[in-house]
Amino acid sequence: MTAVAFSPRVFRTSEFTLGVVAFAGFVGLTIATSGNMLSAGTLAAFFRFLAVPMVIGLAQMVVLAIGQMNLSVGVLTGFCAMASAWLMIEAGLPAWLAVLAALALGALVGLVNGLLVVFTRINAFIVTLATMTIIEGLRYGVHGPDTFQDYSPGLVRLGRASILGLPVVFVVAVVVAIGVGLFFARTVAGRHLLASGGSPFAARLSGVSNDRSILLAHALSGLLAGVAAVLTVALSGSVNASIGDDLLLPSFAAPIIGGVALAGGVVSVTGTCLAAFLVRLVDVARAQFGIGQQWVDLIVGAVVLGVVLIGAVRGKLASRPSRPATSAGSSRRTS
Amino acid sequence: MTALLETPPEAPAARARSLPLWANPRLGLLVLLVVLVVLFTALRPSFLDVDFTLVPMQADISVYVVVGLAQLAVLSLGHMNMAVGRMAAMSAFAMGLAYQELGTPLVVDVLIGLAVGAGLGALAGLVISRTGVNSFVVTLALDFALVGLVSLLYAKATDGVSFGAQPGGMAALRTDTFADYCAGNVCGPPVPLIVPIAVVAALLVGLLFRWSRTGREILMTGASVKAAELSGIPVGRRVVQAHALSGLLSGLAGFLLAVNNGAFSAGIGDAFLLPSFLAPVLGGTLLVGGAVSVLGTFLGATITQVIYKGLNLLQFQVDQLKLYIGLVLIVALSLDRVRHVLAERRGARA
Repeated sequence: MTAVAFSPRVFRTSEFTLGVVAFAGFVGLTIATSGNMLSAGTLAAFFRFLAVPMVIGLAQMVVLAIGQMNLSVGVLTGFCAMASAWLMIEAGLPAWLAVLAALALGALVGLVNGLLVVFTRINAFIVTLATMTIIEGLRYGVHGPDTFQDYSPGLVRLGRASILGLPVVFVVAVVVAIGVGLFFARTVAGRHLLASGGSPFAARLSGVSNDRSILLAHALSGLLAGVAAVLTVALSGSVNASIGDDLLLPSFAAPIIGGVALAGGVVSVTGTCLAAFLVRLVDVARAQFGIGQQWVDLIVGAVVLGVVLIGAVRGKLASRPSRPATSAGSSRRTS
Repeated sequence: MTALLETPPEAPAARARSLPLWANPRLGLLVLLVVLVVLFTALRPSFLDVDFTLVPMQADISVYVVVGLAQLAVLSLGHMNMAVGRMAAMSAFAMGLAYQELGTPLVVDVLIGLAVGAGLGALAGLVISRTGVNSFVVTLALDFALVGLVSLLYAKATDGVSFGAQPGGMAALRTDTFADYCAGNVCGPPVPLIVPIAVVAALLVGLLFRWSRTGREILMTGASVKAAELSGIPVGRRVVQAHALSGLLSGLAGFLLAVNNGAFSAGIGDAFLLPSFLAPVLGGTLLVGGAVSVLGTFLGATITQVIYKGLNLLQFQVDQLKLYIGLVLIVALSLDRVRHVLAERRGARA
């Protein structure tokens, strides 16, 4: 009977399920590669390339929180990366200034997205579809088809450095994730944002400005795309106009697998990060066993569909009239 | 033509009728199209060159009209199909495989391919209607899965990324125009042979949504699922049908692109997603469902291709073109909004 006190809630969340799956996958992969996963080099590489998918998933998540989408996250990441590289090489700015500029640029473009949505009242999907095309042109405009390389060696060294065995870029991503989590859990603006996403009408009646929520969500999404850009610049050592092309679909995959509803009002930072972890796990498994990249897409697609179907089935079961409640288990079906 | 192909927006009929003529978005698009053509012709007279510009442009427009229609078919429900490109790729693969393995004539290959496309669409529709999950998520996941599957299949069935042999007749469809077929001294207009395919597809889709019971019921489902259900419409079946239509049209678009490229290849459909939304949205089809405009989609696709071609002639880089396409989209939509507000205000005063 003592177990009942803490068992129900935590174990039934999708984050918990995801966590178990992620852990099992990690252990399984470690055994399958006979421990190769745990060697310092592999482990560091694993976490180093987890950073960008995590942050880009969060960038999509904050807009999903208000029930909208941001199709421009991927190309915006590329644009900010190109812009900061340009600032360092062509304009000769120090690295820290270029980093700040990239963040500001991301937030600014995000804000423009938000302003367009608020003032034209056009669906955010379409607005960001249009800005995505525009930013694609701008991203190309920075340096044409050429590659920027040999910018700030300090920044690149930081991208490859580790603290306590964990890559710096991953630590940055985790800090950002915690920041986003705190924003939604603890701040007034974050709660307002979720309220607008859950029910704009109810939010307005409670005195929340939906327009402000929209602006904030899009600006934050842009800022996070800027963070992803900085991480990319630090990680790769060279950037060109194709950066960000392969980020759009993963940006949706992470929050959706992580249990974020497209209808808005719900976020899950842990879920999004765990989903990014899972996708990365599939990617590493592919590299370890020499399977084609195509299998990763196939598996990720199947996983998303599977998660969606399981969620729908679970929703149906939960909405069925519940059994007569027993005294011990009655708290289970509160949702 | 206009009356036939346009479904009135879901605003109440009385208000819609009181809108003045200049508030019709299709008219605005037509004006924009004429302005663009005049502008590009003034800057580069070769814009009106038949062989180098007009004929290839018609072929491109045909492809993107059908791509736009594929998206329109589900926008009518208020759904999205993120997998248009990959459904097109799977269809094209089926067509190539059918010819390679069975040696069937072109028409049969195409029919097999279209059936595959429609099947994939129906599958998406089935999952959506059974589970009630957002169409965006389902088709996005399907897209992910098909991306992988398409390249695996091509790697297995062919040496590389495309089929070596093409069915007879594809080359003729690709290179010939009606001008090549003469009866005595009278030759046809310089229109590529694939244009009629797209025109027929557009007419059929227009007729479906305008006159057929199925089409009207799909639109009603899009306007309000609850109301449609209460009126006795089999909502689930209509959702499956609309998605199957989307898959079918994706497959047709894949075939048309394969004709233009000259081969069934794995890259077909890669660039379909953005244009599939551009054409209907520019043409005034809403994302909320319940109203579609086939004529608008045609104009939207045409304008996009005219801009591409024109800026290409002015020697802009391909990637830079996108900047202007995006700007046109935003400006067109904002103007549409302004015009609508103005027209409503005037209507209210009258």
